[in-house]
Amino acid sequence: MKHNQVKKLVFLSGIATLAALAMMVLSIVSPKPIYLVLAMSVGQGLGTMSLALYLLAIVLDLQGGAVSGAAYETSLETTQESSDEDKHAK
Amino acid sequence: MSSIHSIEQLLKLTAVACAAVAAAIILWYLVRRPPLGRLTKVLLLLGLGLLPVMVALTGNIAGYEYTLSRPFCGSCHVMGPYIRDSEDPQSQSLAAIHSRNHKFGEQSCYMCHADYQMFGAITTKMNGMKHLYYYITEYASTGPDGEGGPTIKLYKPFKNDKCMQCHSTAAKKYVETHSDQLEQIRSGDMLCIDCHSEVHPTALSRRPGAKKTEEKK
Repeated sequence: MKHNQVKKLVFLSGIATLAALAMMVLSIVSPKPIYLVLAMSVGQGLGTMSLALYLLAIVLDLQGGAVSGAAYETSLETTQESSDEDKHAK
Repeated sequence: MSSIHSIEQLLKLTAVACAAVAAAIILWYLVRRPPLGRLTKVLLLLGLGLLPVMVALTGNIAGYEYTLSRPFCGSCHVMGPYIRDSEDPQSQSLAAIHSRNHKFGEQSCYMCHADYQMFGAITTKMNGMKHLYYYITEYASTGPDGEGGPTIKLYKPFKNDKCMQCHSTAAKKYVETHSDQLEQIRSGDMLCIDCHSEVHPTALSRRPGAKKTEEKK
């Protein structure tokens, strides 16, 4: 579930960054007042938002990794305990 | 291939190059959809974070520099008459004479009309936003020189401080030629443009809403 969320966030972040880059490059290639204002407001806002989305995705991914790591350790412990019990039973 | 002549061009080139690399990284991710391993994360941090920040920084500086230039002021059609007069080598208007100055001529509009206080650049750009608002709401679909729009006027009177940024009232030649009005000019009771009134004379007659009688004003 979390893995899908992370992928979606990175995808959204990528699309938003492409849009922001397009606005910023347009204002550089064709520096008309309206393009400059758009690049410096909407473009940079989108860019900041997309970076925030990406960082959120990384945090979620790390949390997911930590959770799955903990689950892996728990499962390892459980396996070891059950094998010990088996040995004792034998 | 043309070479780089100014810092502004170098900044623009840097911004476009960074944008191209960032876009390539993002498109690679969106098309290939690789697993989010360490390398992919680092590459995406470059493509979604560091490179776009570089584009924004260099683009902002280059954009700001460009906003100081005369072509930028002339990019709104209502400014056409003013720009044509400023760029006319035969014109004897103050705007044209100042525009022929090789030290700042390319930024003549900004040099004369910008505010010079501590936050002068900010207040000037805020006024620029006001220009844009009025341009969109009142002049957007007027004639080739904006003839159908309302009369263009300054937001506030053109004060002597702007002239005095370059023309010192303490210079010997200035004191000699303005001895009778010196105190009035320094105090602001008398404006420089009261006498030096040929600022945009040919432009004034063609500005939106102007009457023919204003030509010599």
